[in-house]
Amino acid sequence: MERLTFEYAATKSVPKRAYVGVVGSGDLEVLLEPLEDKKAYVTVRTRFDGFEQIWKDILDRFFENNDIAAKIEINDFGATPGMVSMRLLQALEVSQDDKTQR
Amino acid sequence: MIKLKDSFVELKARERAKALLDEGTFRELLGPFERLESPHLEPQGIVPECDDGVVIARGTICGERAVVISIEGSFQGGGIGEVSGAKIAGALEIAVKDNEEGIKTNAVIVHDSGGVRLQEANYGLLSISEIQSAIVALRNYVPVIGVIPGKIGCFGGMSMTAGLFSKIIITREGRMTLNGPEVIEQEAGVAEFDSSDKKMIWNTIGGAQRQAIGLADVLVDDDITTIIDEVRVAVKDGKPSKLRSKQIDLFLSRIKNVDPTKPIGPMDVREMWSKDEDITVVDAAKVEQTDKNELVEKVMSRGRIWFEKLTGITELKVSDVPSVLYADVNLGKEQVRYIAVVPNPNNRFPRARKGEVGLEEGWTVAKYVREVMEEDADKEKKRPIIAVVDVPSQAYGYKEELLGIFQSCAGAVDAYASARYAGHPIISLLVGPSISGAFLTHGYQANRMIALDDPGVLVHAMSKQSAARITKRTIEELDEAAKKVPSMAYDIKSYSTLGTLEDLVSGIDAESPKAEDLETIKEKLIKAIEVTRTSGIRDLSNRLTSEKALTGRAAGIKVRSRLKEEWN
Amino acid sequence: MDISKLTNDSRRSWTTRREKKARQIAKVQKLVNGQVIPTDKIVEALEALIMPGDCVALEGNNQKQASFLSSALNQVNPDKVNNLHMVMSSISRPEHLDIFEKGIAKLLDFSFAGPQSLRMAQMIEDGTVTVGSIHTYLELYGRLFVDLTPNIALVAADKADAQGNLYTGPNTEETPTIVEATAFRDGIVIAQVNELTDELPRVDIPGSWVDFVVVSDKPYQLEALFTRDPRQISEMHILMGMMAIRGIYERHNIQSLNHGVGFNTAAIELLLPTYGESLGLKGRICKNWALNPHPTLIPAIESGWVDSVHCFGGEVGMEKYVAARPDIFFTGKDGSLRSNRAMCQVAGQYAVDAFVGSTLQMDAYGNSSTVTLGRLAGYGGAPNMGSDPHGRRHSSDAWLNMITGESEIQRGKKLVIQMVETFQQGNKPVFVESLDAIKVGQDAKLPIAPVMVYGDDVTHVVTEEGIAYLYKAQNEEERKQALAAIAGVTPLGKESTADLKQRLRENGVIAFPEDLKVKRTDAKRSLLAARSIDDLVDWSGGLYEPPAKFRSW
Repeated sequence: MERLTFEYAATKSVPKRAYVGVVGSGDLEVLLEPLEDKKAYVTVRTRFDGFEQIWKDILDRFFENNDIAAKIEINDFGATPGMVSMRLLQALEVSQDDKTQR
Repeated sequence: MIKLKDSFVELKARERAKALLDEGTFRELLGPFERLESPHLEPQGIVPECDDGVVIARGTICGERAVVISIEGSFQGGGIGEVSGAKIAGALEIAVKDNEEGIKTNAVIVHDSGGVRLQEANYGLLSISEIQSAIVALRNYVPVIGVIPGKIGCFGGMSMTAGLFSKIIITREGRMTLNGPEVIEQEAGVAEFDSSDKKMIWNTIGGAQRQAIGLADVLVDDDITTIIDEVRVAVKDGKPSKLRSKQIDLFLSRIKNVDPTKPIGPMDVREMWSKDEDITVVDAAKVEQTDKNELVEKVMSRGRIWFEKLTGITELKVSDVPSVLYADVNLGKEQVRYIAVVPNPNNRFPRARKGEVGLEEGWTVAKYVREVMEEDADKEKKRPIIAVVDVPSQAYGYKEELLGIFQSCAGAVDAYASARYAGHPIISLLVGPSISGAFLTHGYQANRMIALDDPGVLVHAMSKQSAARITKRTIEELDEAAKKVPSMAYDIKSYSTLGTLEDLVSGIDAESPKAEDLETIKEKLIKAIEVTRTSGIRDLSNRLTSEKALTGRAAGIKVRSRLKEEWN
Repeated sequence: MDISKLTNDSRRSWTTRREKKARQIAKVQKLVNGQVIPTDKIVEALEALIMPGDCVALEGNNQKQASFLSSALNQVNPDKVNNLHMVMSSISRPEHLDIFEKGIAKLLDFSFAGPQSLRMAQMIEDGTVTVGSIHTYLELYGRLFVDLTPNIALVAADKADAQGNLYTGPNTEETPTIVEATAFRDGIVIAQVNELTDELPRVDIPGSWVDFVVVSDKPYQLEALFTRDPRQISEMHILMGMMAIRGIYERHNIQSLNHGVGFNTAAIELLLPTYGESLGLKGRICKNWALNPHPTLIPAIESGWVDSVHCFGGEVGMEKYVAARPDIFFTGKDGSLRSNRAMCQVAGQYAVDAFVGSTLQMDAYGNSSTVTLGRLAGYGGAPNMGSDPHGRRHSSDAWLNMITGESEIQRGKKLVIQMVETFQQGNKPVFVESLDAIKVGQDAKLPIAPVMVYGDDVTHVVTEEGIAYLYKAQNEEERKQALAAIAGVTPLGKESTADLKQRLRENGVIAFPEDLKVKRTDAKRSLLAARSIDDLVDWSGGLYEPPAKFRSW
């Protein structure tokens, strides 16, 4: 297991918090909470060590496209990068969707 | 064209809870953002989940106040650890309190659990004993409804928990079994149970078979609406007139009618058990024959040694089930009942010959406990029961699972817990291994537990070999992990850090107790009975108030107090 | 030139093959009862019938194996039978390579070596096996009629009668093709059968094409290769399936198609009756299929999406279901499926609008390969489906849809769609700088790198990020940009920028889920028409009988 942290400057705010996924085989959970300051903080706990660069790439790209001020916590049980990106975007969808109540 | 069903099985724990509560009433307690995760996983290099895999939700069902407890099978196989266990037990305990105070609160548990989370081992086992205790109390007020959708089902101690439910709603995909096929294969060999034979597994422990032989109530299709409807029916129906875990005579007679020397399959059980609705008397000829043939060889074990020394009885009359000993003798100024499970090399069931708790043992323990309750029904002062605990494991066998050993164990749990709630002081004396489902069955429902500080006294959830196989770790890795997480250790010293023991008694010769040893222990027992009576506590809440528990069970205590804050 | 000299002087016999066959057959007259070789005499019979250096076609493809005959061949005395030239669709069983180690065989022409790919690569490197060529199925079948005509065919059938008529039933596959090539040029055809019977359900191969039958000790080996358990379909597969249905199937009006065996395509099959229905696409797309009887297609068939399915082979457990749906499947008078691998390959290459497959590696130009280092798996049939047949002249909406130019002479294109996640399990990128196939090809001294599907044939690539409409790319550079734009955080993907992606989106060269109105949070397993094998059994009304390993309750 490895614990990684990342920080980004951010401008956009998100309306509400979002929770998606599960810490099951090949999957992950994402907790996303709005932040007041213009920052994004990400904490990752991942089952497999040694993939810091890929995590950075995924998150760099996510924040490049979605410049949100948020605290994000990821608990990962061996998801592929594609799965990680999908869950992040799902969390974003939920946080911006008026109808979804979490 | 068939109707497209909305799968309940495919829903995650949270969505399942939401589905079962009346629309718009779902309110989660200790939800993901409160981050009450297991403190024991990260030190072992395992990624935790922010809700520890259990969802507690308040809301209404049919307009009635309800709590839904839903276990997430995808996280660590739905295994029960300290936090997840405390969430379940804590929620049930508050529901009991509500009902005691006249606020009717229904309870539904969506089971999807492999049993004890082996990475937290003793925390899981302990939590399960507390969950079971709460269910027994809650059933007096409302039906405790179990939904077992699969994909996992319920295994290990959690299957015993299901054996206590007022009503079980199960799909064909749900499974109920005490020992998983992999564990039986590990413990008893592939000839006993081939864990790769999926078809046989489903036919033995799958929902359809369990319902057909009466170990579950309603078999449903995996369809959200159907399951919601059945849960509503169960809430409306209220408490059932009969509870499986109380039907000791029925199940004992069923098991007596099985010939363990002959092969038996799922269909045979369906046939045998469908005819016997009202049989409570065993075929007389058979019993007589058993009596004659049963030349019970006496094997000394710690359990038997302590039982004999404490009761002073060495020549017990051989009963129907010679592996369960009981005697009423005086301890101090009052009569107490001692119960022990001991090896019987001639046991009808070969898998229960070394002192394991098997099909007959569970129900027989239940019988001996219930006897005391019935005899003392009108007495103000209830007779104490002392469980002498030396149980290496539950019996691992195909027939055991086929015939519902989990229900037999649940019968004993129910009896002990009911006796405790009725005011019988229950004291356990741990003189040998106190392992897994066997300990849950015989000993773990006690008000107070006393253990000998001796290397032969062990408390654990599973043998090391099986635990290694199931968690895909080596025995060395397990030992290493136990250094960081005391609840994973097997020795009684480590166990005592959880604060559950009333007393850990040193300087006793556990193998052959001397007169002074006996005196010491008797004094401890008398004191434990007294403490129990004066405290007036009949549930297991005293386990959380000991000095050691404040640190040893810090997470469990925190979970309970947070639950209380958020309950209403 | 004196023509008479050329013909007469040579005194050439025109019947050498026929005479050789007669001589060989004469040798076994004492062993056999008419056309029947006794089971326990098979090794002896093979030793007499096969000459050193003979060209032997041994039936074995990715499903059905002439397993009794292959193990018998492995038992012949190498002093008597050696240096054979083996022609085989698939190298699947250990003895398929054992015979090379023993010297029974020397030269090999094949198509697919999936299960034995590791050993295959090793033996080529060691020189134990000399490879003629690695083919696609159709090429190999073609060459049976050109320069690889067998002296001996060893094939498998379900049943035979005393006249040698064969019943191959649902698993007819490639048997008729091999037998035809052998029988009509005086080769010897030997068929192993599970059973000898007086009356066959139907005749799949006439007895006059068959020389000998032998009852096998065990039924021929048959793998359920096209069964995908819906349990293993992830939300990611579902997301990609939704994108494909909206962004490709619907957009290009795909009528006829072939699916590979992956979970992505299984997801699509299970999304048609739910998601596809909600888009109002029933009866409008996916009507005619060149496809094995995929269990995951059952819900689409039952809900009325499918008009026809022609099959390469059968699928274990699907026999009764297929027999009960003769409007859809090609079935014989007896009611059971008639598959035919060669015909279905032709159909899949020439007659369908689209092929949808998957791959393990793809380079920046869209070339893809399932070869990984140290393994030589060959091709099978995928390149036949996964290529644009330049001989095609009939048109369809989808085919015409691929035309992007404006000249007066234009050809359409088959849609070749690759669906891949950007990374495999274990964080191995699918999009790579250079395919492993190049090194594997060099190590095995192959004349060309073993590429499964060439980039210039690929019209669409779907990843979890989006769809690249490669056929729309103006040039090589834009193709690469389009691929990079959907390649996630693989090294190729990192070459892309937000601006570039925006421009490609505006030009319609790529599309993201939001462009297709696909919501990621909608990609849930509850959207699948069947979530388990048992659901499939329910859909089939109990007609589908899955093998034990796929059963749950």
